[in-house]
Amino acid sequence: MIIRLILSRMVLAVLTLLAVSVFIFWTAEILPGDIAARVLGREATEESKQAFRDRLRLDRPLHERYWLWLKGAVQGDFGVSLVDQSQERQVADSIKPRLKNTAILGVYAFALYVPVTIFLASISALYRDRLPDGVISLVNLVGLAMPEFVIGTVLIYGFAVKWSLLPVLSQIQRAETLKEILNSTTLPAVTLTIVMSVYSIRLLRDSLIEVLESEYIRMAILKGLPRYRVILFHALPNAAAPALNTMALNLAYLIGGVVVVEQVFAFQGLGSLLVQSVFVRDAPTIEAVALLVSTVYIAANLFADVMSIVLNPRLRTG
Amino acid sequence: MNPLLEVENLTVDFWNQNRWVNVVSHVSFKVMPGEAMGLVGESGCGKTTTAYTLLGYRRPNSRIDKNAEVCFDGQNILKLPGSALRRIRGKRIALVPQNPTTTLSPGMRVGRQINEVLAAHGVSGGERQERVLDLLAHVRLPDPLKTAQKYPHQLSGGQQQRVIIAMALACRPDLLVLDEPTTGLDVTTQAQILELLMHLRQEQGMAMVYVTHDLSVVATICDRVGVMYAGELVEEAPTGELFRNPRHPYTRGLIASVPSVRVPRQRRRILLRGYLQRDQLPPGCRFAPRCLFAHESCFSDKQNLVTAAENHQVACWRWSEVPQLATEIVEELPQPEIVSAPKGAPLLQVDDLNCAYEYHRASLFANPVAKLVVRDVSFDIRPSETFALVGESGSGKSTIARTIAGLLRPPSGKVTFDDQAIAGKVGARTQDLRRDIQLVLQNPDASLNPRQPVLQIIGRPLEIFFHLRGKELRNRVEQLLDDVRLDKTYVRRYPGELSGGERQRVAIARALAANPKLMLCDEILSALDVSVQASILELLRALQAERQIAYLFISHDLAVVRSLAHRVGVLYLGELCEYGQVEEVYSPPFHPYTHMLLSAVPEVNTESRLVPTVRSDAAEGTGSRKTACPFANRCPWKVGKICEDVPPPLQQVSETHALHCHIPLEELRQRETWSKSTLQTAKS
Ligand code: SF4
Ligand code: SF4
Repeated sequence: MIIRLILSRMVLAVLTLLAVSVFIFWTAEILPGDIAARVLGREATEESKQAFRDRLRLDRPLHERYWLWLKGAVQGDFGVSLVDQSQERQVADSIKPRLKNTAILGVYAFALYVPVTIFLASISALYRDRLPDGVISLVNLVGLAMPEFVIGTVLIYGFAVKWSLLPVLSQIQRAETLKEILNSTTLPAVTLTIVMSVYSIRLLRDSLIEVLESEYIRMAILKGLPRYRVILFHALPNAAAPALNTMALNLAYLIGGVVVVEQVFAFQGLGSLLVQSVFVRDAPTIEAVALLVSTVYIAANLFADVMSIVLNPRLRTG
Repeated sequence: MNPLLEVENLTVDFWNQNRWVNVVSHVSFKVMPGEAMGLVGESGCGKTTTAYTLLGYRRPNSRIDKNAEVCFDGQNILKLPGSALRRIRGKRIALVPQNPTTTLSPGMRVGRQINEVLAAHGVSGGERQERVLDLLAHVRLPDPLKTAQKYPHQLSGGQQQRVIIAMALACRPDLLVLDEPTTGLDVTTQAQILELLMHLRQEQGMAMVYVTHDLSVVATICDRVGVMYAGELVEEAPTGELFRNPRHPYTRGLIASVPSVRVPRQRRRILLRGYLQRDQLPPGCRFAPRCLFAHESCFSDKQNLVTAAENHQVACWRWSEVPQLATEIVEELPQPEIVSAPKGAPLLQVDDLNCAYEYHRASLFANPVAKLVVRDVSFDIRPSETFALVGESGSGKSTIARTIAGLLRPPSGKVTFDDQAIAGKVGARTQDLRRDIQLVLQNPDASLNPRQPVLQIIGRPLEIFFHLRGKELRNRVEQLLDDVRLDKTYVRRYPGELSGGERQRVAIARALAANPKLMLCDEILSALDVSVQASILELLRALQAERQIAYLFISHDLAVVRSLAHRVGVLYLGELCEYGQVEEVYSPPFHPYTHMLLSAVPEVNTESRLVPTVRSDAAEGTGSRKTACPFANRCPWKVGKICEDVPPPLQQVSETHALHCHIPLEELRQRETWSKSTLQTAKS
């Protein structure tokens, strides 16, 4: 039962990913105008344009090119970047370090995000309608009202300019020791964490409050269990399930937010790569980044789905 | 001997809509070690709040008067700090709450939930596992090792309640607080839980505070009973004394309202009028607005408990006159008329109906196969007749109602209404047919839109079926409200502002608005207090007499069925095993299942305590493989293998009464013990 459920979710995820890849490829390739002319400039000779088209197999039908592209992508080959024709730079090569940087940032932010959310939501729910809850809710509201670039800027102003604790611009590409890495990622990560948490703290708080009012929590208290056990073993697991989906959605958001935050901090990650590629209309890179982002997005949702299946004993035991 | 528990002056208020509302007022009582004390009263009387206070529990947004004391073994529970309370809860005072399904943590194995209590109270790790298994065996759960590994949803309601009892007993408490522990369970399951509790109490000698609305349960299990009304304790006496000589008018009314399985339809009268309205409590006796003997002074003079006899206290200044007054009033009441079952052509005829609720697929792409929950059921209902279907949960009784209402399409079988075969689905039915058959459900909350005022709720069918508008519509709605004994001003109210009984009346009024010929009543009384039940029953009877409505009355409550139905069908696992006129079914010969159901009902019995004896609960019968006689897995009188292999023959007892069983009727007549054991009770 549960295996079948999970398998069907996985199949669905793969199908979604395929559909998305078609869409990405199609939009990037269907851009108006002659790609060759666009990339090589108007002065390019007919010869060089023809050579360019041959290399990109532009004369082949679209579905064939899609197929070849997909085949390559699965093996990690995203073709050649259109920028800087002289160097024949592989897209994969330019993506790799960026991917690593963004992954560090993402993991860091997520690692902050989960405990912060759980902790603050628990406090808020336990002291419902009292001072701690009020303070947390207020801060939350402020956070909700501010877009990430404002939060980022405020953080830079505070921590980097005023107190000089952390660098203004993140130099992740040069960071080598752990300290340097932390130094260059902390501010962007905190920015992302704040932006993500504000939604989910509220959500988890409400879900926790509902659970805390349930009869099984009252029973757990009246059994004489210590408070931490009641929260940790009875309240949180049952409150987490509904909040889990937003957490996953947030992971997806993380990827979008990364683009903005990376710009604010001049962080050398996937997001800034995407922005750069869009400026120079580097279709293969755009496609590659978009596909990567979609993969992470779909994987995150799949993960949330599977987790909520696993967390639900009704589904777990059939 | 010192009392184990002394409650002194307990007063509790709830914060509700910006003001404090009193819920419990100056309640005092004592419980001796080993004693079982019952607290009874209708919903809203404060009994549950009182019970939870005994564990030092205070609901959020409530306050306990600072002069109140709950002394347990010499210490005031209300003043204890959190850590000391934690040491007492679950160890010395344990709780068995009402609803087992929502009480167990859904995501934790039940064994671990018991283990946790032991761990919290300092039992060492090695010993715990063993104790858990011991406890599970003690509450008679089959295969403790396996049960401990299960999640709550994998157990039946009765089994869940056993787990909770095991959890409560884990540390051998001195006091067990039980809050309606059997409400919502099947009669047979209830009987077994009661029996288990009696047994455990004898064995472990713990004291109990047993909170319930069910007087017969109290009579079965408690030594002493306190009756609560609107937050006050109005009478307290040893059980036998209380049921023999009830002094307080409320207690008398309560006892008289309890329908009994042993009393036939004609002998009922309501002695309790109205219902508790918290916003209209007078400063004096809180019962005065409903009291038949109220004097002017009653409304202004506070009544305190006075001693009426040894150990017997009552909060009514007229206590000595009440018995005399009561007999006079009873004589003034009109005798309920004796109605005989109507004759004539049936209005509804059900032939060989099969119903399926779930469709089961063998694989993802296979055609769904119907899983039958009702098999070959046939019955008919005549105009102005009440046909009742009784049975435990899972017997398929609600499925039959839903099928007739057109919510489910039966795989096979014929339903004829007014000489027309009616289509399966509501959508395919004519407007007239949809009007003629109305369904009223158990839970009025779920079927009333909380955002619509009563006018709109009841008005809707009037608009659809009779195209009434404006003034006309309003008049009709008011008239319907009057029919269900609700005030005209209710048109503006929303469901949230009504009590459970009132909401059920609104649901009934909405069904009546369609002017139906047949009303399908699915457990419509089970969530209601006895006095509300009694008045709705009265209402149903009156409406039937006025409008010739036929009822299909579905209930698990055998006493209610006896007081309302003309004919009864007993359903077990989707098969009709006995049917007949109501008095035929309630007298021998009984089908073994009917007999078991009847024996399981606890009775208000003043002479002796009858603990119902039932050996297996409903869940045990269902899991096993299908047998020729559906009851064979649980039947205490099972003949042998023949019951499993050969479908039992239909034996005709009289023209109207028949049952399916391999045991010859003569023998069934001799086997039965239920009515014999209680012959003397019926007399008293
Ligand atoms: S005090 Fe008066 S109103 Fe109250 S129960 Fe007694 S007779 Fe009735
Ligand atoms: S047929 Fe057999 S199993 Fe069924 S009720 Fe009769 S005796 Fe019991």
